[in-house]
Amino acid sequence: MFYRETGQFKSSYKADQAIFPITQDRWFILFIFIIAFLVIPLTASEYLLQAVMIPLLIFSLAAIGLNLLVGYAGQLSLGTGGFMAVGAYMTYKLTTAFPEVNIIVIFILAGLISASVGFLFGIPSLRIKGFYLAVATLASQFFLVWMFNKVSWFYNHNSSGTITAPPRELFGVTVTGPTATAETRYIVALAIVCVFALIAKNLVRGRLGRSWMAVRDMDIAAEIIGIRPFQTKLIAFSISSFYCGVAGALMVFLWLGSAETEAFSINESFYVLFMIIIGGLGSILGSFLGAAFIVCVPILLTNAPQLFGLSMPIDLQKHIEIMLFGFLIVFFLIVEPHGLARLWQIAKEKLRLWPFPY
Amino acid sequence: MNEIVAPSNKETNANESSGLHKDASFETLLEVEKISLSFGGVHALDEVTFDIRKGEIRAIIGPNGAGKSSMLNVINGFYQPQQGFIKYKGNERKKMSPQIAASQGIARTFQNIALFRGMSTLDNIMTGRNLKMRRGIFWQMIHWGPARNEEIHHREIAEHVIDFLEIEPIRKTPVGRLPYGLQKRVELGRALAAQPDLLLLDEPMAGMNVEEKEDMCRFIIDVNEEFGTTIALIEHDMGVVMDLSDRVVVLNYGKKIADGTPDFVRADQGVVDAYLGVSEK
Ligand SMILES: Nc1ncnc2c1ncn2[C@@H]1O[C@H](COP(=O)(O)OP(=O)(O)OP(=O)(O)O)[C@@H](O)[C@H]1O
Ligand SMILES: [Mg+2]
Repeated sequence: MFYRETGQFKSSYKADQAIFPITQDRWFILFIFIIAFLVIPLTASEYLLQAVMIPLLIFSLAAIGLNLLVGYAGQLSLGTGGFMAVGAYMTYKLTTAFPEVNIIVIFILAGLISASVGFLFGIPSLRIKGFYLAVATLASQFFLVWMFNKVSWFYNHNSSGTITAPPRELFGVTVTGPTATAETRYIVALAIVCVFALIAKNLVRGRLGRSWMAVRDMDIAAEIIGIRPFQTKLIAFSISSFYCGVAGALMVFLWLGSAETEAFSINESFYVLFMIIIGGLGSILGSFLGAAFIVCVPILLTNAPQLFGLSMPIDLQKHIEIMLFGFLIVFFLIVEPHGLARLWQIAKEKLRLWPFPY
Repeated sequence: MNEIVAPSNKETNANESSGLHKDASFETLLEVEKISLSFGGVHALDEVTFDIRKGEIRAIIGPNGAGKSSMLNVINGFYQPQQGFIKYKGNERKKMSPQIAASQGIARTFQNIALFRGMSTLDNIMTGRNLKMRRGIFWQMIHWGPARNEEIHHREIAEHVIDFLEIEPIRKTPVGRLPYGLQKRVELGRALAAQPDLLLLDEPMAGMNVEEKEDMCRFIIDVNEEFGTTIALIEHDMGVVMDLSDRVVVLNYGKKIADGTPDFVRADQGVVDAYLGVSEK
C-alpha cells in the first residue's frame, strides 16, 4: 500500500475540510491512538510515564496555547509561565475550597480565570507590537509569579509556601494526589490534551483561525475585510491563556504533585516558546513535536552516554543541551520557520512520490 | 504613460454637456461631497466632489500623487477627511471605520498587494467571507453540525470565486509564494468573495504583462456585467480606462479637474496639460 492521495478524489468540500483528508493518515492516527491509549499505559514503566509521557502531554497543551497566540495570531508572548501559574494556583484554591466539585470542572474554571487574566494582559496589544509587546508580557510573567509568592492567601497561608495536589477522584478512581498511579494520571492528561487539541484544531481551521492569521499577516488588510484586530487579538490572548492555565493546573495536579512559584519561572515561558519555534509556528502538530523534542532531548543526553559506558558530568550535559537548543532555534528561525512540522510534511510529500520521484 | 495624452483625432464635441448623461433614471450609489484631506501641509484631496452610479465602472485617473489612492481610502473609511461628507446608499456619513464600510458592502484591493502572505489562496479568499459567517466561538470549537454546514456553504462560494478567476491549481498554495500577477488576482478574489455592492480597485493591473492585463480586464468586465457590481477603478493605462469605464473622474494635485465619459475627458485641455506636466518631468 503506497502513501498516496492520487485516486482519493474528494467529492465534497466536507471531505476536503477533514483534519486528515488522506486515508493513510487516518490509519496512522488510529495507530497513534491505540499506542497512546492502550499500549503505553499497559506496558510503559512508571519512569517512562512520569519522566517522559506526562510532561510531554502537559507541555504539548501549553505549547498549543502559546502557538495559538504566537504562531497563529502573531502576538509574541513571554508570559506563559505566569498564566500556567494562574491555572495551577486557581485550581488549588478552588479545589481546596470546594473539595466536592469534580476536578475536571475545577481545571476548566481555573482555565477560565487564567483566560480573563490573559485578556487583561492582552490589552496593551492594542497599542504595542512585536518586541515591545513581548516586554509587556514579560512584565506580566514577573508580576504574576511575584504575586503568587507574596500573597499567602493563594497557597492557603501554609508555612512552606507550596501548593500540593490533594487526592481527588474521578469515576471512583483517585486521579490526583500522592496515591494516584502514574497510569491514571497519564490517561487523564491524555484525554484532556486530546480534547483540547481537537478544539484548537477546529478553531484554527475555522473563521476565528483565519481572522488570527489575517491579523498576524497584515492587520491593515484584515481591517478592510471587516476584521477587528484588537478584538481578535484579545480573543487570542484569552484562549491562549486558557490553554496555558489548564496546562499549569495539570502540571501540578497530574505531574509534579506539588509546586512552588519556582516551577512557573521565566524559564518555563522560554521553554514553551522554544517548543513552538522548533516544532513549528502555526501548527498544532508542531506543538506536539516541539514539546516531545524539548522533553526528550535532555533525557537522551542523560541516558545516551551511559549506554555507551561513558559518563558525562551533569553540568556538561546541561551545557550541551542549551547549546543544542540555541543552535536549533537559530536554525529553525532562519531556515525553516515552520519547524519540525514542516519537515514532517516534506517527508510526507517525498513519501507520496516514492518510489518514483519523477 | 504617453498614450494618455493623445487628445485623439476623434471629433469630440465639447459642447456635449460635458459628456455626462444627465439622465435622472441613473441611481446614485455613492456621492462624494467636497471632501478635503490633508497630511500636515500636503493637501491630498481638496474639495473633491463626484458621484458613482449603481452598476457603472467609474475610473479615477490622474498623475502620480494626485490623490487617487487617498480618495479610495476615504471612501472605505481608512482615512477620515477633514471636510466634506460621503453619502452611501442614501445615508450621509462623516466618520466611518473600514469595518463598517466592509459590513455595508464596500470591498477593495490595494495598490501594493495586501494579502495574508502566510495563508493559502483558499484561506485568503475565505477571509472575504468572514463577515457573512455567523456561528460563534462555541460552534467553531466543535466544528460540527451547523458550524460545519456554514463552513461548507461559504467554502462553496469561495470555490465559485476560485473557478471564476481560474486559479484552481493554486488553491492550497501559500500566497507569499505566488508570482505577482497571480497575487493581484487572489486579492481581487478576496474582495469578490465578500460579494460587495461597491468594489474599489487600486491599480489592479499595475506591473502586469499584456496577457495578465487582458485577463484582469475580462474579470473586471465580467464582475460588472454578471453580478452587477459597481466598480471604482484607479488605473494608469489609458487604453484600459477607455475600454472599461463608463465615466472617468480626473484628479490633479488633489483637485478634480475633469469628470465625464472617457472620450470627453481625453479631449479636455486641462487633463492633457496635467499629464504633459508630469511626463515632462
Ligand atoms: N498616509 C499618508 N501620510 C502622509 N502623506 C500621504 C499619506 N497618504 C498619501 N499621502 C500624500 O498624499 C498625496 C496623494 O497620495 P495618493 O497616494 O493618494 O496619490 P495617488 O494618486 O494614489 O498616486 P499614485 O499614482 O502614485 O498611486 C501624496 O502627496 C502623498 O504623499
Ligand atoms: Mg495610488
